Amino acid sequence: METTDFSQPIRQSSKGIIVIFAFKVFQFFKKFFVLFIAFGLSLMRRKSFANITPTMMLLGLVGVIIIILVIAILKYLNFKFHLSKDDFHLSTGIINKDTTIIPKSKIQNVYIKQNFLQQIINVVSLKIETAGDKKSEIEISALDKPTALLLKKKLFNKAITKNETTETVEELDKRDVFFKITPKRLLLEGLSQNHFKSFLLIMTFVFGLYNEFKDYVRELGLRKHIDDFVKLDEDTALNLLITNALIILTVILFSLLYSVVKTFIINFNLEVVEHQKTVEINKGLFNKVSLSLTPSRIQNLVVKTNRVKQYFGLHSLSVKQAMVNAKQQKNFNIVALEKEQLNYLLNKLLVNYNENEGDVSKPRPYFMRISTLEMLLFGTIINALSLFLFGIGMLWINAVYIPFAALYVYFAYKKAYYRISDNFITIGSGVIDTTTNILETHKIQGIKVKQTIFQKRRDIASVVISTASKSVTIPYVSKSEALSICNFLLYKVESQDRDWM
Amino acid sequence: MNFTNLQLQTESLPKIEDVALKPISKSYFKIIRLNKLAIYAGLIGFVFLFKYFIQEKEEVEINIWYLLSVILVFCVLNFIVSILAFKKRKYAIRAHDVIYAKGLIIHSMITVPISRIQHVEESRSWLARHLELSTLKIFTAGEAGSDLSIKGLPHLEAKQIKEIISDKVNGNN
Repeated sequence: METTDFSQPIRQSSKGIIVIFAFKVFQFFKKFFVLFIAFGLSLMRRKSFANITPTMMLLGLVGVIIIILVIAILKYLNFKFHLSKDDFHLSTGIINKDTTIIPKSKIQNVYIKQNFLQQIINVVSLKIETAGDKKSEIEISALDKPTALLLKKKLFNKAITKNETTETVEELDKRDVFFKITPKRLLLEGLSQNHFKSFLLIMTFVFGLYNEFKDYVRELGLRKHIDDFVKLDEDTALNLLITNALIILTVILFSLLYSVVKTFIINFNLEVVEHQKTVEINKGLFNKVSLSLTPSRIQNLVVKTNRVKQYFGLHSLSVKQAMVNAKQQKNFNIVALEKEQLNYLLNKLLVNYNENEGDVSKPRPYFMRISTLEMLLFGTIINALSLFLFGIGMLWINAVYIPFAALYVYFAYKKAYYRISDNFITIGSGVIDTTTNILETHKIQGIKVKQTIFQKRRDIASVVISTASKSVTIPYVSKSEALSICNFLLYKVESQDRDWM
Repeated sequence: MNFTNLQLQTESLPKIEDVALKPISKSYFKIIRLNKLAIYAGLIGFVFLFKYFIQEKEEVEINIWYLLSVILVFCVLNFIVSILAFKKRKYAIRAHDVIYAKGLIIHSMITVPISRIQHVEESRSWLARHLELSTLKIFTAGEAGSDLSIKGLPHLEAKQIKEIISDKVNGNN
């Protein structure tokens, strides 16, 4: 392997032109997508639009693409980076020259990503994240893999040796694959997901599509077909019922398929690699990502599972870190972990975490009252909507809704608990999913005791605990309990001189 | 150690409920009043504008007065709530944290440990400058929910608090 010399300004791999070009073209089409459709439709109808013939359109398009290609080449030529002793230098820009210098010690994270195109031409992109805002992110879009890994190592080494002894350097090389997902578990994970979300998504998608293309469909005379079809079935109520059931079944099947495919694409080849200090996650089918977790920056841990998943031993763990943008945050998610693996990982990420430490306390039964009210409100809306849309016959929906609502309230209360130990706060919640939020007491940024005017009479309050990445709520405890939690946590934060990051 | 054990301990912990919270400056109420009046005037103005634009239709005439009375009732209620809520705006600085309480319908008391504060800002609007008031903004690294903005502090006091906090924040580092 030839080692690349980073001390001189170098360009990225020449394949970068392709990546930049493809990205720009994609962006261009995304921006003018609606315009294209409008043009295309009017052209189809009238063969010309404002004296522009299809050939001219095509020529224009080719021209635009050539311009984009030239821009991509210029961009590539002007994109140079190098490493000095302590800093990373980057100069970009065709007309406006930009020079960015990042001190190595300020680098928060280095990601290696590979999207579909990059996989084909065998390059990776390297993303450098600093503690600043989104704009200060740097992405080198085409490097061959050894170079990227080397650069990542060089960027990190300096940052680490700054704080700790040099021995960490060699340990970075030690790779210990801790967890590797099998397709079978991935399939189970996809199947056992909460399908309500994908169900709703598909429903809205179909509805939206139908509304968009209503006119078009009508034009094609499809409408008539459907009407005929429906009329045919209206002969017997049974047939109608079967059709409805079939439709619902198809949608459920689709949402199932959607969940499975989505899980596969995102978590394909999920791999958790253990280093001495950090944990690395590799995953993705079309978009390969490689991320590293640093325990000191972790603010919240969320463990999610549900009944079915529990049966198969599937737990997912998402890690919320400080200073990570929302889009990246989603990637810090490890699915399909066994219980032991989960506990091991938790112990790795949180020092001395003990699942059974501290007493479990529950919110006051007031919790159920609020959930019931919520469900009542939701029920009223559903009833009003179905009455409005489908008429009085639709009231049977209550037969389904009321038991569902009752179960919702029951499970929501059953799963709600909180546990405060010396160093950790654990909050459980969820209805279909079982969600467990874990955070360390010294990472708290602020505490809020909240009480509405109605809760005042009942002497009930909620506590909202904020960390640098998320706020969690301990709902509806008694006021005195809320205050004592608040006092205790404040004491914990203020008496120890521990940094939150 | 578990939580029941800690509850005994909590007796001896410094209690947040014992802190004497200080109300914010009375003259800040003038600013609230002016702001509210501007909003009400805008709302009522909108009603008349609305009326002006669809004057042609006859049955609308009655509806306008309904609408106006609804809005007036809303304004009066809103004003009463804001008077009562004003008394709930209180703050306190302890050796290790800043406390700010507010809200009538949803009362909340936010506490931010000084060691977690990233920076402090003191800002004054045009009106506040005339009334010798200022707003103290306290930023943490946390979610938006844990940032404080204490409005209507006497200017001098705000300055003092700002000094105290920045001294402590810088001293800790």
